[in-house]
Amino acid sequence: MIRALYSAASGMTAQQTNVDNIAHNLANSNTAGFKARRPQFQDLMYQTMVQPGAAAGAQTTVPTGLQLGLGTRAASNEIVFTQGNFTQTSNPLDLVIQGNGFFQVSLPSGELAYTRAGQFQMSRDGSLVDANGNSLSPQITLPANAQGITIATDGTVSYSLPGQTAAQTAGQIQLAGFINPAGLNSLGQNLYQPTFASGDPVLGNPGGQEGMGTLLQGYTEQSNVSVVDEFVNLIVSQRAYEANSKVVKAADEMYQMMNNVTR
Amino acid sequence: MDQVSVTAASGLQSRMEALDMVANNLANTTTGGFKLDREFYSLFTAADNEAEDDSASTKLPLIQKQWTDFSQGVLAPTGNPLDLALSGKGFFAVNGPSGPLYTRNGSFQLSPAGQLTTSEGYAVRDINGKPIQTQSQDPLEITPDGSITQSGETIGQVQVVDFKDSSTLQKMGNSYFLPSDPKTVPTAAADTTVLQGKTENSNVAPAESAVRLVGLMRQFEMLQKAITITSDMNKQALTEVARVGG
Repeated sequence: MIRALYSAASGMTAQQTNVDNIAHNLANSNTAGFKARRPQFQDLMYQTMVQPGAAAGAQTTVPTGLQLGLGTRAASNEIVFTQGNFTQTSNPLDLVIQGNGFFQVSLPSGELAYTRAGQFQMSRDGSLVDANGNSLSPQITLPANAQGITIATDGTVSYSLPGQTAAQTAGQIQLAGFINPAGLNSLGQNLYQPTFASGDPVLGNPGGQEGMGTLLQGYTEQSNVSVVDEFVNLIVSQRAYEANSKVVKAADEMYQMMNNVTR
Repeated sequence: MDQVSVTAASGLQSRMEALDMVANNLANTTTGGFKLDREFYSLFTAADNEAEDDSASTKLPLIQKQWTDFSQGVLAPTGNPLDLALSGKGFFAVNGPSGPLYTRNGSFQLSPAGQLTTSEGYAVRDINGKPIQTQSQDPLEITPDGSITQSGETIGQVQVVDFKDSSTLQKMGNSYFLPSDPKTVPTAAADTTVLQGKTENSNVAPAESAVRLVGLMRQFEMLQKAITITSDMNKQALTEVARVGG
């Protein structure tokens, strides 16, 4: 009886986590470069009431035994790195990665972080920075009078100067890849940091052999949250929560009947 | 104690254990690869009463075992290339901390060393029982027979096994199964396809569980009534019958 109450409570807690996660995904359905998170649940320990293989008589053994499960728990919510849709912006500093790579930016603390949101801007001193002011690493600096900034699919940044016909090269944007991007640590602000689970970043040029993907100028990558899927998950989660609360009620009523046996 | 109360009490105990199972099933409606449990009622007959005359023998309903419903769960598309689902009978085999474990939860990941693992970090076994090692960060393609190719090269084949008698499988938690007899050897699953980019949902149907919940409640209520009525009858026998003399 107490088992049923706690199993149902664990189910309700798990569905609360599920709804928290759905809310976070839906809230970020317009965040450029956002990757949805998907929770994973696991069944908990089993209490063995009758051991399988125990002797049931002189000649026979119990073939399967009786195991009562003790509910569920939220095990992880992994980041799903599927490609988001592209929106054309015509801003020459908006970049999309068509592939698995990440932009590498350096934080004010000097640490490196990784992002899929390629909406870059120019800083006061002419270097490419993200929306929070973190500069791309390795740094790309353009002169103040640069015109016609072109970023090729392999990351080469070129520009022309007024009165000159030959294009100048400012550098090549590098991308970083992870063997297990689902294990990255989210910092917020679209930034990720590597963990032991994600593995160390491998740097490479866009379009190279490492499979980082190529760059596309003038587009941004939308969030990969599917609003329809999230709503379906929300309905399923709400109904599952309801079912678990019904079990709590049933267990409570059965308990009450037990107490009424002796009058 | 009288016979009716003992039998009814045993029935009450069984319904409570059945409720524990329904509660666990419902708690796991969103657990990937979860298979629901059902109770299996059996009858306890006291050894000294196994005579020809069974009129007043001690027979009690008991739940001595559960059976796990291994029917297919709904296959939900996720778009994640490392999510695998099995269509048909069988299990993925993984290297647990103390020998192989079997699961239908195919939400796999890559370890920092590039091996295909479960979310706990247990390596997924190929058909030779070895971990599956990726060569680069290029996308993996998995064909319905479980063969994994990366950049056009085959790097392994996921092992899909089945058991002759799936009722001997014990649940280990975290959606893992293990045969209760360690000597049981799994066989290669026949006619099972591996689907990439999908996961298998739990096979618990909440509506059906709700109906079972109501059924359990009513049976519990009836048994409780049986005890109360017996107790009333006993009370009347004591008070009314004894009053005859007076």
